[in-house]
Amino acid sequence: MNTLIYVSCLGFFCMIAEILNQRKLIIPVLVLALAVIFGLNLSDWNHGQTYFNNMVQVDNFSVAFSGLAIFITLLLFILASEFYAASDTHISDYSAIIIFILCGALMMFNFNNLAMLFIGIETLSISLYVMAGSRRFEVKSNEAGFKYFLMGSFMSGFLLFGIALIYGASGTFYLDKIYQYTQTNSAILPVTFHVGAVLIVFAMLFKTSSAPFHFWAPDVYEGSPTLITAMMSTLVKVAAFAAFYRLISHTFLYVFPSVETVIAISAVLTVSIGNFIALNQTNFKRLLAYSGISHAGYLLLAIISLRGNTESSLLYYAVGYSVSTLAAFSVAMLVFKAAGNENIDALNGLGKKNPLMAATLTMAMLSLAGIPPFAGFFGKYYIFSEAMKNGYFYLVLVAIINSIIGVFYYFKPILAMYGQPANEIEVKTNYANNLVLWVCLALSLALGLFPDLIVGLL
Amino acid sequence: MGSEIIFYLLSALSIFSALVVVFSKNPIYSVLSLIVCFFSIAGHYVMLNAQFLAIVHIIVYAGAIMVLLLFTVMLLNLNKESEPHKSNLIKVAAIVTGGLLMLTLLASLRTSQLPVYVSPTDLGLGTVQTVGKSLFTDYLLPFEISSILFISAMIGAVVLAKKER
Repeated sequence: MNTLIYVSCLGFFCMIAEILNQRKLIIPVLVLALAVIFGLNLSDWNHGQTYFNNMVQVDNFSVAFSGLAIFITLLLFILASEFYAASDTHISDYSAIIIFILCGALMMFNFNNLAMLFIGIETLSISLYVMAGSRRFEVKSNEAGFKYFLMGSFMSGFLLFGIALIYGASGTFYLDKIYQYTQTNSAILPVTFHVGAVLIVFAMLFKTSSAPFHFWAPDVYEGSPTLITAMMSTLVKVAAFAAFYRLISHTFLYVFPSVETVIAISAVLTVSIGNFIALNQTNFKRLLAYSGISHAGYLLLAIISLRGNTESSLLYYAVGYSVSTLAAFSVAMLVFKAAGNENIDALNGLGKKNPLMAATLTMAMLSLAGIPPFAGFFGKYYIFSEAMKNGYFYLVLVAIINSIIGVFYYFKPILAMYGQPANEIEVKTNYANNLVLWVCLALSLALGLFPDLIVGLL
Repeated sequence: MGSEIIFYLLSALSIFSALVVVFSKNPIYSVLSLIVCFFSIAGHYVMLNAQFLAIVHIIVYAGAIMVLLLFTVMLLNLNKESEPHKSNLIKVAAIVTGGLLMLTLLASLRTSQLPVYVSPTDLGLGTVQTVGKSLFTDYLLPFEISSILFISAMIGAVVLAKKER
């Protein structure tokens, strides 16, 4: 809870710094402050309690995910120090909005009331619509912002309607009270409750870019500034999945059969569509968008395997996925800025020109493809074994076949980097970017070699 | 008896004005009759003892959103009947989908048990006092946290609309 307050104060700091004309201070202070808040957040570990009349419930699950979100934002700000030119007058606005996106994500990790969930999702999304369209002289960025805004506000309507129906049936917004209501009335739950639950599931599937609600993802990812695309595919996805899991495991346990079918169908569609369409992408950002869609499908398997140690495997997968995706985007940021386009060809011969970048991108691709010893392999392994324990044999089979297909397109950038003759694009490196690359490389290897670091946590 | 007459009057007014919104050729008339529609719905809220909701409805919809719509109509110069003619295929598709929606709604209405009218036990329900009390006690955190939502929307407006030097 205190984490949320500290982080929102940071957002106001950005605006005050603009008034005092101290733009240069913003990013260093934000990075330091986020590191401190990361530590403060951990002090809530094992001290879970509820705040503000049960509006917020802090538990180890929310502390772990908040830590991950703060860490991702920290890395993004390190990247932002080079991504936005020092002369950019909008830097304070951008940093404030990114901080508010983090606030929305934090609300989505520890809500105990559907009103909090709604405000969290809206804070996250409305800030994201703006950031997606923030390159306002580029047509693609305009398209991304507008498309995301239209679709997203439509889906917010679904979410709100679902919440209203659930309130109509149970008479409360509190997750624990809704759970009690379903427990006592499990035999005679009214139809409205089921419909409400399914509508909320639709909205969450949209936010996690799962099929058949995935159509916005490739266009929005392609059009947004690369830093924001990196944020969408890591922080936002993690936040949406954590909120989804919290909702399903805390509240919808007794309507699980009716949402289970929806999620299972969506999981099969998501992994298949994501992997198959990614096969013939030439734009690197679109490739990563479809890869993100397919990973949403694997994560959906974690959402429906409720028995067992699912929370840890969800966390482990989220960490592994975020680290690899961030690494891929931090390479992409520099290469595509130098090349002026976002095609995979721009990576040609990077292995000779810049071994560190090439090695990190290779690690990221192998980890996303699920090849040991990187974190992605164990993430998939844990999720699949949890799903098997819960009896989803066919779902796991589809997911495994699809992850084999995925290997093909993850090798495209690797082949371009090492197999093709070098092109004449000059990639300028900088300390900030190298730091992020090293951190991601080290984390992905460490998590792959010692999965117990995270798996035993929750 | 008196309230029943008001109810039917308001209902007739809101349905009539909603029909004008759809059928009027001139967009300005559509927008204006939408205002009438919003006001008559606000009247319904008042009759249901939800004064706060009624006022918010008028301020937000009839005030802010209508101004936005009127601006859009005038800025885009839509107040001519220059709208392109829709093809027959689109008309058929629209009728079929609309009819399907009506069928679904009618079917669900038929099977659902409509609640019998009970007079509210608490006469203060829905008044400004009770809404305010629950906003500042139970719902204090969401209420305060919406400020983050609004400030990020405001910064967003600045980011998207500010003139470059």
